[in-house]
Amino acid sequence: MAKKKNTSPDEIDITIFEWVGGGPTDPKQIGVPFCGGCHPGGGGLEFDRDGKRYDQRLKAEPTLAQSLDGDYYKSKWDKSGVVEADCLLCHLPGYNFKERNKQLKMYNFKWAATAASGIGQVSGFVREDQQPTVQYNKRLFNEDGKIALDLAYPPPSENCNFCHGISDAKKRGFSWNDRRNHDVHNARGMSCNDCHPAIDNPALKVTKLQHQFAKGDENVSSVRDDLDNTIMTCRDCHSQGYMGAPRPTHLGVRPNHLEKLACETCHIPTLHIAGGEGFDVTTGAMVNYPVFNLKDLKNSPKQIGDYFDWHPRYQRIKRGQLAPVNALLGVFFTNLDKDGIYYPLFGRENKKAYEKIKDQLQPKNPMKPELHTNEQIKLMLTALTETLQGNKRFQQIKPYYHKGGKHYHLNDKGEVVVEDDHTHAGHVEGFNINHNVAPAALALGANGCGDCHSTEAHMFKGQIVTDMFGPPDGKPLTISSGRLFGCQPWAFYLNQFHQLYLSPYANILMLLVVFGLVLHYTGQGPKVADYYKSPPEIVWFPLSERWTHLFRMVSFLVLAFTGYIFFFNNITLLRMSFGTPQTAVVVHWVAGLIFIAASIASVALWGKYAKFAPYDKEWLAKKGGYIGGQEVEVPAGRLNAGQKIFFWLTGILTLITGVTGIFLIFKSSLPLTLSCVMSTIHGFFAVVFVASIIAHAYLGTIANPGTWQVLVHGKVSRSWAKKHHSEWYKEYVKQEEEEKP
Amino acid sequence: MERQNVPRLAALLLAGLGLLLFVSVAMARERACIPFHLKTEDGKIINPLTGENADQPYSPRQTCGACHNYDEITKGYHFQQGWDRISDDFGKKMDKPWVLSDGMLGKF
Repeated sequence: MAKKKNTSPDEIDITIFEWVGGGPTDPKQIGVPFCGGCHPGGGGLEFDRDGKRYDQRLKAEPTLAQSLDGDYYKSKWDKSGVVEADCLLCHLPGYNFKERNKQLKMYNFKWAATAASGIGQVSGFVREDQQPTVQYNKRLFNEDGKIALDLAYPPPSENCNFCHGISDAKKRGFSWNDRRNHDVHNARGMSCNDCHPAIDNPALKVTKLQHQFAKGDENVSSVRDDLDNTIMTCRDCHSQGYMGAPRPTHLGVRPNHLEKLACETCHIPTLHIAGGEGFDVTTGAMVNYPVFNLKDLKNSPKQIGDYFDWHPRYQRIKRGQLAPVNALLGVFFTNLDKDGIYYPLFGRENKKAYEKIKDQLQPKNPMKPELHTNEQIKLMLTALTETLQGNKRFQQIKPYYHKGGKHYHLNDKGEVVVEDDHTHAGHVEGFNINHNVAPAALALGANGCGDCHSTEAHMFKGQIVTDMFGPPDGKPLTISSGRLFGCQPWAFYLNQFHQLYLSPYANILMLLVVFGLVLHYTGQGPKVADYYKSPPEIVWFPLSERWTHLFRMVSFLVLAFTGYIFFFNNITLLRMSFGTPQTAVVVHWVAGLIFIAASIASVALWGKYAKFAPYDKEWLAKKGGYIGGQEVEVPAGRLNAGQKIFFWLTGILTLITGVTGIFLIFKSSLPLTLSCVMSTIHGFFAVVFVASIIAHAYLGTIANPGTWQVLVHGKVSRSWAKKHHSEWYKEYVKQEEEEKP
Repeated sequence: MERQNVPRLAALLLAGLGLLLFVSVAMARERACIPFHLKTEDGKIINPLTGENADQPYSPRQTCGACHNYDEITKGYHFQQGWDRISDDFGKKMDKPWVLSDGMLGKF
């Protein structure tokens, strides 16, 4: 937009007059809106920057059209009139939007409202130096000369879509009343106004009359950011039941997913009309590119709005959640001026340079040069350098080409230099995607975790275009979707290991352990007799140890149960047992902390007895008599070698699962990669832990009937102690002798 | 027709007419605006039936503004699109001197 005050025609970009009446006027394009087509009128289309009506002022001061005033430069306001706010653009069902665009492009500004509403026909165009005339449709008028129009309040969605249907299709693949690119709210009969009513909020000093429509928090758009988040949010409606909105329970969704992901992330998995992949202004015109069909480039959509299924990219938005967006990748030129600022070049400047080299470039499509080789880029930058010579808006001529996160410029030798683009031009910000919401049955997660956590799922492995015309062949460059929100590839593969192997095979591992124990039981049989041979009379486990074991055992059972639910995302069990995932999570980590504390206590109590002694070699050599089917006499301390191994094994497993578990308590604050690593390690060693405990429980119960009683009263018989813990028993007897009076 | 049926028929007819009247009144109330005069930029009435100012386009400011507060309505950001904040210096602080406002009128 041209500034108000200019010192040279070089400084003047598009003026407000051109903003309203510009754009192609060929029969195919004349109904397509230029900038002014989507402006309802009033404001800057009626009054200049001094607050005066353009038409009246230019009539009074006709020389303004020859001045460098950005509001009047080369304008015809005195003949075109101004564009007053056209109430019927929004409030008249059946309004002819194409006619409005035609009238504006033909400089019939003040006639546009009459023609587009269908109230009258307008003949003659100011652009063609004619005086337009009006022929009113008398059928619409009553005998008293009053017009009777069937106006709509609130405005119908169709009218909103005159503008938003076009601009938002490009920004985010949006369409409304579209069976293919459906929206669940649209299907329930909701209209734009239901979510975007006029704000009536004394705190914001906004009245309903002012027509300030409630809005969300768009990433890119910045107009009236102070009115952001005045819209009803998903949560507002779906927690209050507004308009009958169902209240979701989300019991199948991990709580951290509900915190980390915007609702739209799961509920808008796919768009069904082509949005914009990006735009290129090399030719001087803005050439839009619809999203690419990366699986078959040649069969990419021909234009924005064509039916085509595509998935969004994901970006962390202002409120910290991951949300679906569409980033329009810009391909454009700037000039680095002496003040260190990269000034975007005007369309006419690009056009002039491009026209010079078009024949040398010989692009397949002259409207789509798609510069990607150093030779092509050098040609254009050289042409721009020549074109910009003497341009009075710059003190230094140093053109830059911005594309795919890189910028290109010529060094002193005239060679192309490529660098990472950290300028404003290299910053990619996605347009939020928040319409075309899928029904819950089509949302991500409706078919389980694999909707996102599988090898083919778009969430992590989907390819996102980062450069529309990448070197060396001009084909698009891509990156895995997960990389964009901070998931390193190796972390993703680790996560895949969890999803593809650990979860499915954990059950098999458990079955193998149980099967092995059954084999042992059937081959070896229980050691029935010896525990009951004589009455338990000496204390093997004092009360402190029994309590420690009890705490460890109970907390482990709780951990294993809740862990099983998480590991297999068993929602039925979760609902039956805990009601909500949040409760289960809290129970899990509270049990985990108790288990860690009990484990530390057990190390303090049993650590000294778990030190390996020379006689343990014999126990190990004879496998403690547990394998071979024969009773053997093996030396052992208070803990035998097998128990010592188990003690240290569980110690190590406690350490690993404990440390990773403590990290995971704060999962929502962890970087995604670290979170993936921690949860995979935690899950893997938890499975090993459970398998070990099953074996331990077998040996303490079925394989050695009666020994579990030690956990109750702590006592064993002398004969049993002598046989199974001979070295300890010797010490015990010795101490007993010493203590005799 | 038997004479005794006449009052019944008349009552039925009256009820039907009443219903018709009710529906037409109800439908009229659904309209956002009652019939109104179109007006020119100068506030003069346009009457195509008499030919009064019938060669001029209607002015939304004068026509709609006769009942509605046009100036207040056009304060909305859809109408202003940054024009109420536009300034040649708007983007200087953010090192984007070409940015003149936060809306579509001046942002690019």
